[in-house]
Amino acid sequence: MSLEISQGTPVEISEERALSEGRRQMVLNMGPQHPSTHGVLRVILTMEGETIVECDPVLGYLHRGVEKLGETHRYSQFVPWTDRTDYVAAPSNNLGYILAVEKLCGIEAPERATYWRMIMGELARLASHLVWLGTHALDIGALSMSLYCFRERELILDIFEKQCGARLTTNMMEMGGFSRPMPDELPGMVRDFCKEFLEKQKEYEALLSSNPIWLSRTRGVGVIEPEAAISYSLTGACLRGSGINYDVRKATPYLYYDRVDFEVPLGTRGDVYDRYLVRMEEMRQSVRIIEQCLDQMPADGPLSLTESPYVIPPHDTVMTTAEDMQRHFIWVIKGFSPPKGEVYQAIEHSKGELGYYVVSDGTPIPYRVRLRTPDFVNLQSLPYMAQGAALADVVALIGTIDIVLGSVDR
Amino acid sequence: MSEEQLTGGPGDTPARRVWDTGYWGPTEPENHPAIVAVREQFPDAYVDAVNFRDEMTLRVERPALREVVQYLRDERSLRYNFLSDLTAVDMLRLRDNPRFDVVVQLYSIPNRQRLRVKSGFNDGDPVPSMVPLFEGANWLEREAYDMFGIVFEGHPDLRRMLLPDDWDEGHPLRKDYPLRGYREYVQPGYESPAPRVSSRFRRP
Repeated sequence: MSLEISQGTPVEISEERALSEGRRQMVLNMGPQHPSTHGVLRVILTMEGETIVECDPVLGYLHRGVEKLGETHRYSQFVPWTDRTDYVAAPSNNLGYILAVEKLCGIEAPERATYWRMIMGELARLASHLVWLGTHALDIGALSMSLYCFRERELILDIFEKQCGARLTTNMMEMGGFSRPMPDELPGMVRDFCKEFLEKQKEYEALLSSNPIWLSRTRGVGVIEPEAAISYSLTGACLRGSGINYDVRKATPYLYYDRVDFEVPLGTRGDVYDRYLVRMEEMRQSVRIIEQCLDQMPADGPLSLTESPYVIPPHDTVMTTAEDMQRHFIWVIKGFSPPKGEVYQAIEHSKGELGYYVVSDGTPIPYRVRLRTPDFVNLQSLPYMAQGAALADVVALIGTIDIVLGSVDR
Repeated sequence: MSEEQLTGGPGDTPARRVWDTGYWGPTEPENHPAIVAVREQFPDAYVDAVNFRDEMTLRVERPALREVVQYLRDERSLRYNFLSDLTAVDMLRLRDNPRFDVVVQLYSIPNRQRLRVKSGFNDGDPVPSMVPLFEGANWLEREAYDMFGIVFEGHPDLRRMLLPDDWDEGHPLRKDYPLRGYREYVQPGYESPAPRVSSRFRRP
């Protein structure tokens, strides 16, 4: 686009051009400071009256070069960076990267740690969906939803804080398990939360699902055809809202997702309302998974591997045995060297398929770390959905894709 | 390092690994249906196939990349109809020629199988674009162009994706690009500009 567009006010008309027969087009700049773009997304809209003719998202306002940083840090040092990509569901990002590196090394965490990872991943999904629901409803006009959603999200953040000391950027997982022991009261806290959350979710649905304003803003808006959803490589609720059954947890189960019973909700019309229903049902299924994990999880056992050369030795043996002290020293100073090779590990993030492609050249620093973030790929469908829509719908469309700009720009 | 050490001791090998990709096909490239079919259909383009951690990587010649991916997508028995990811790797420190690899991660929704297709090329070689096959390749290829300077032949709108449109310092994910860039940047609140990190691979 050759237009000079100033970046002053959030929405402004920068150019008007006349077409034939009295019609005229105008170019409208939305963002990067617009409150409903969920961060620093900028969209350049070419409008004809109230109808969108062309939509061009401009990204990169939050680009920090995470992939380049991955090539300069040791394997374990990159884990905190994964928190900062999608910061509303940080444990899921940890999980994807850790699973990729564990696969590269050929190790796996003990059973108890794996169940606990599943629980943390599902809690992260709930936290992310609650942010999505609150902000999406806030954009469309239901202000009170965001207050309720953030109230429940606090409980999840309290659980994260109990486990690892941080609420947002958790840095919770480590090669071979968890970096810290699990506090004894934590499974009880998770159980209480699950019970409470199901009650609260009924209130959300009573507020929104048959609300006439909500229905008129979401029904039939932003329809994605199933073929287009596959062609645009959409994943997550954007794909399943169009009726395509692809959930990484079911399709290629990682962790112990083949041991728990849950269902994958599918939409039929592929509009904003269907994606809302899919995500609401996903939250209910997440609670089901968490409760099953709590039942199946061994009551006692290690939360981290101890013997593997790829794992930092436990603190008490470092202090008492010479071998572990040496191993600890080498692990901290030099890091560990996985075998040469490349792996692609995909997990079902709250927004879709989160893939980590890690290439190792046999040194303690990864040769290449690639983050296939779901919202970057999903955001591509915005011009497709916005074609012919009204300006007010763009807000609903950005909300339904469920983007976090830290994850889009990386 | 023995397999025992890798898995954390003897008697500790469960039936299915936690990080398993759910791959249940043959692990030898000679028996993999997609590899066999591609070898039959494109005998000139096929280079090799490697299995690592139950992930199959197929390497083909660059000019035939799009035909191979199209065949994998449209063949009734394979149907790799979903483009998971498209990216590139700069192999500068690992080999001399060709310098880059373009990596296409394919997934088959009906068959629930993954396949990685790679193709090597040198700086300046045009790589066939995947946009005619998958709309989703559009931004992924723009990002690869932005980060590596790869020219995708047949891409409708090859612009920078994440960096500014007027960025004139090259392509940052290349291995010869210093971590903090070529230029010295003024730091707000500091007297001296940000120091440059020395790199073994400087721009000539």
